[in-house]
Amino acid sequence: MTDRRRRFEAQALPHLDAAYNLARWLVRPPLDADDIVQDAVLRAYQSFDSFRGEDVKPWLLTIVRNCFLTAFKQTKRKEGVPLPDDSEITLVDPALIVGDLDPEATVIQMDSHRELSGLLSELAPEFREVLVLREMEDMSYGEIARVVGIPIGTVMSRLARGRALLKENWHLNAQGGSHVLQ
Amino acid sequence: MSCNESLRVQAYFDGELDASAAMQTEQHLENCVDCASLLADLEATRELIRRDLPYHRAGTALREDIREMLNREEGAYTPRQRRFGRPRLFLSGAASGAGAMALAAALAVFLYVPQPDPLVGDVMNAHLRSLMSDHLIDVVSSDRHTVKPWFAGHTDVSPPAADFSKEGYKLVGGRADYVDGHRAAVVVYRHGAHVINIFAWAAGTEKLPNEETQKGYHMACWRSADLDYCAVSDTGMDELLDLVRLMKQQ
Repeated sequence: MTDRRRRFEAQALPHLDAAYNLARWLVRPPLDADDIVQDAVLRAYQSFDSFRGEDVKPWLLTIVRNCFLTAFKQTKRKEGVPLPDDSEITLVDPALIVGDLDPEATVIQMDSHRELSGLLSELAPEFREVLVLREMEDMSYGEIARVVGIPIGTVMSRLARGRALLKENWHLNAQGGSHVLQ
Repeated sequence: MSCNESLRVQAYFDGELDASAAMQTEQHLENCVDCASLLADLEATRELIRRDLPYHRAGTALREDIREMLNREEGAYTPRQRRFGRPRLFLSGAASGAGAMALAAALAVFLYVPQPDPLVGDVMNAHLRSLMSDHLIDVVSSDRHTVKPWFAGHTDVSPPAADFSKEGYKLVGGRADYVDGHRAAVVVYRHGAHVINIFAWAAGTEKLPNEETQKGYHMACWRSADLDYCAVSDTGMDELLDLVRLMKQQ
């Protein structure tokens, strides 16, 4: 085993679950989380020689996110869907925004585990990703800012809005109402 | 949320405040009903998330794929080969196929050395092609009962495909390939970080080359039963011959 491979296995691969979890929460069909993660790990390995010292997890998750974005834009381009203005990259895909949900459909037979997953999946991606990084990966505001490429203030406001939406929709779900997504 | 301090309260909740800022916020919380309510909401939402959101972990299949990918990346590329670029894993099949062929064509030119025996060059190129593209393995398995029947359905011949993990040669799968005008069945082994391709096709009558080394790759050929074999790898020649010996005993 080469030195680089040994280093990579020791430093980067322990964060493979984190990479996969992020991919799973970002990715929708026709994209595949496994593909995104494999591509990201390959790119990470290829550029590992130039990676020095800093924290590996945010670096790897940044690559995962970028791989997702690239693939996402490719699929949108193929479908002829115009991309949003890149000044602040948001991924508000019309397909992701659910309209008025049938109240019966949401309340009937969903256990709370799937309910919350569903609610998080419905959130606009810019809220979803900061919530995943904060709540599931325990990243600091600074780390999230680096991974997503936004100012810390934006991290804070997105977290606040995302959490409020999640809570709001959770209660609305219990009452059979339609969801607020932004 | 009417209070200006709401983002600060959130930052406090997320452990982002230093000691003095945290203390100030705690004092504020004692006096601000809205912020106290916000903090309760934040805590409740976090509890909900902890309780109900699944943390998705990478499965064994993905981990295996990644391990093999890193092995290929580690063992196959030399600084000179890098000039021809890297395959991407999730492009559409057509695009990656065209890319792989272009790479193989470029590589063939790069590697061209006049051969007294065209078979040697062809097998070497097929070996390198398999390492450079994402087409190393068509059927993934370390079980002979999966690989051998797969050959029967997909290639002209069905060579033995035993796993020799105990001796250090792990069967990783099989592939259909073309070599010197033959449709070959390829049994793929892993020895440490090295890939060993064993090409097999219907036995001919011409003499096979015995052992060859080119640009760091070793090759060993033999004829057995009604099949011709060529084993290729960048592992050491001794290691390659050990696997050949194991194969011959099948």
